[in-house]
Amino acid sequence: MSFTEPLFLLYLAICVVVNRLCPKGLRPAFLLVASYVFYCTWSPAAAGLLAVLTLLTFGAGLVAEHARVQENTSIAWLAPAAAILLTGYLMAFKVALLTPSHGIAGLVMPLGISYYSFKLISYVLDVHWVKMPAEKGLVNFAAYVAFFPQIVAGPIQRPANFFEQLPPQPESVVNPLLRIAWGFVKKLLIADNLAPAVNAIYGHVTSLHGAPLWAGFYLFPLQLYADFSGLTDIAIGSGQLLGITGPENFNRPFTASSISDFWRRWHMSLTTWLGDYVFVPMRMASRRAGQWGLSFSIAVNMIAIGLWHGLTGSYLFFGLINAGYLIVDTLTNKRRTTFFRKNPQWDKAGSWFGWLLTFHLILIAEVFFRSQHVSDAVWLLGHLWSGLSGSLAVLQSLLVGNEMRSLVIGLVGYLMLELGERYRPDQWLRRIYAVAPRWVRWSYYSAGVTFGIFGLALLFVHTAGKRAAFLYEIF
Amino acid sequence: MTDTQQRLQGIFRDIFDDDSIVLRDDMTAADVHNWDSLNHIDLIVAVEREFKIKFTTADVTSLKNVGQLLALVDKKRTPKP
Repeated sequence: MSFTEPLFLLYLAICVVVNRLCPKGLRPAFLLVASYVFYCTWSPAAAGLLAVLTLLTFGAGLVAEHARVQENTSIAWLAPAAAILLTGYLMAFKVALLTPSHGIAGLVMPLGISYYSFKLISYVLDVHWVKMPAEKGLVNFAAYVAFFPQIVAGPIQRPANFFEQLPPQPESVVNPLLRIAWGFVKKLLIADNLAPAVNAIYGHVTSLHGAPLWAGFYLFPLQLYADFSGLTDIAIGSGQLLGITGPENFNRPFTASSISDFWRRWHMSLTTWLGDYVFVPMRMASRRAGQWGLSFSIAVNMIAIGLWHGLTGSYLFFGLINAGYLIVDTLTNKRRTTFFRKNPQWDKAGSWFGWLLTFHLILIAEVFFRSQHVSDAVWLLGHLWSGLSGSLAVLQSLLVGNEMRSLVIGLVGYLMLELGERYRPDQWLRRIYAVAPRWVRWSYYSAGVTFGIFGLALLFVHTAGKRAAFLYEIF
Repeated sequence: MTDTQQRLQGIFRDIFDDDSIVLRDDMTAADVHNWDSLNHIDLIVAVEREFKIKFTTADVTSLKNVGQLLALVDKKRTPKP
C-alpha cells in the first residue's frame, strides 16, 4: 500500500477513527497492529524480520540499562555491539542490492530498512549513553519502530520524543489534513509533472549537449524537493492525525546562504541523526587533532550521508563533494564573518552571492545523486556549454506530447510552492479565521472542505495509473 | 553570576565571536547564532581546557541547555570524595 493510493487514505481514515474510539491505554497496541497490517501489505516476510529485530533490540536496551544500574562492566559492550550489528544488517542489504539476486534469501531491501534501522540504533545508543531510560513496554517500543506513517521514508523520530507522546492524544484534524493535502499537491501536481522531463533527460544523458543538460541540471533538485518534502508532509500529517507528531525534515532548503546552512535545512531528521551518532562521537575522538580532526569527521559524516542512500559510486561522489564543500565552508567561516563585520557595505551583496553560489554547488552535487553512473554525471557537467546551438530543438524533441504541458504545470506549481512557503497564506487565513464571526468561519470551513475534497479527488482521478513511486521510498 | 558562569560566558563569546552573548540556564543552540554540531565540539574543547576537565561522548550528547553544561562543569570540578 503506497501513500499515493486512494486505499491508503481509506486505511488512514479507518485507523484515525478506531484510534480515537480506543481507550487511551489501548492506543499504542492499536497503532502497533495497524502498523504491522500496513507493513504486511508490502511483505509479510519483511514484517517478520522487523518483529525479530524489534524484539532483539528491546532486549538489548533492557540488558544495557541493567548493566549500567548494576555497574556490571562485563556486559557494557552489549549496546555498542548491538548498534554495530544493526549497522551491519543495514549494510548487508545495501550490498545485496548490488548482487544479481538483489537480496538476501529471497528478500529484497525490506521497506523502510534505512529508516527503522536508524531508529533501532539510536534507541540502544541513547540507553547506553543514559540519554533515556530503557522502554519497559514491548508494545510501546514495537509501535515506535513500526509506526506506519514514518516507516516508508521517515522522518526519523527519536525514541524519547515518541514515547513522551504516549498514549497518543490526537487533537486537531484540520491542520494535519491541510498538511496531507499540501503533501499530495507537492507530489502529484509538482514532482510528478517535473518527473517526465527529468527522466527523459537523465535517460539519454550521454547523447545530449547544452540546453537539455541545463534543463536536467535545474529541474531534478526541484522535483526531488517537491517529492520528498511532499512525502514528509503526508507522513507528519498522518502521524498527527493518530496523535504522534514527528520531527520536521525541511526548512526551505533552497534559500540557504551557505553549505552548512543548507545541511541544517535539508533532510533534517537524517542530518541531525548522523550529527549525533556519527559526527559528534568522531569529533570527540579526534578533538585534539584540531582542524584535521574536524575535516576528517566532516568527511566521514558526509560520506555516510551519501552511502546511506545506497552503496554506489554516484552516492559516494555525492557525499565526497558535499564533504569538500562543508570542510571549506567550516574552515573559512570565521574569516568570512570577520570580513563582513568589518565591511558592512558588502553584507547584502555577500548574502545574494552566498545564496547563488550555494544553490549551484548543491545542484552540482545533486547531478551525482540522480545519475545512475558517475560517468553520466561527469558527462552532464562537462557538456553543459558544448553544442549549445541547436540543442534547444533537441530539448523540444525530448518533451513530445504531454511532457511539455507537464513541465509547465510542474514549474508553475513549484513557483507556487516556494511562494507559499515564503509567505505562508495558510497562516494569514488562520489569523483571519480566529477573529472572524461564526458565519464567516463556517463558510470558510465548508468552502475549504469542498474545495479540498474535490481538488484532491480530481488530482487522484487525473493521475490514476501514472502516479510514480516516491523517490525516497526505495531507501 | 558565579565564577563558572563568568568564565563559561567568556568562552561562548570567543567561540561564537559575539560579545553580546549573555548566558542563561535555559539557553539552547537555537538561541546562539552559529552554534551547531559543527562547532559544538570546539566549545567543548575550550571548556575542557579552561576548567581542566574531561568530557565523554555520552556527556556531550546528553546536554540539553547551558544550565546542564554549567551543572556538569561544576560536577566535574568537584573533587570526588
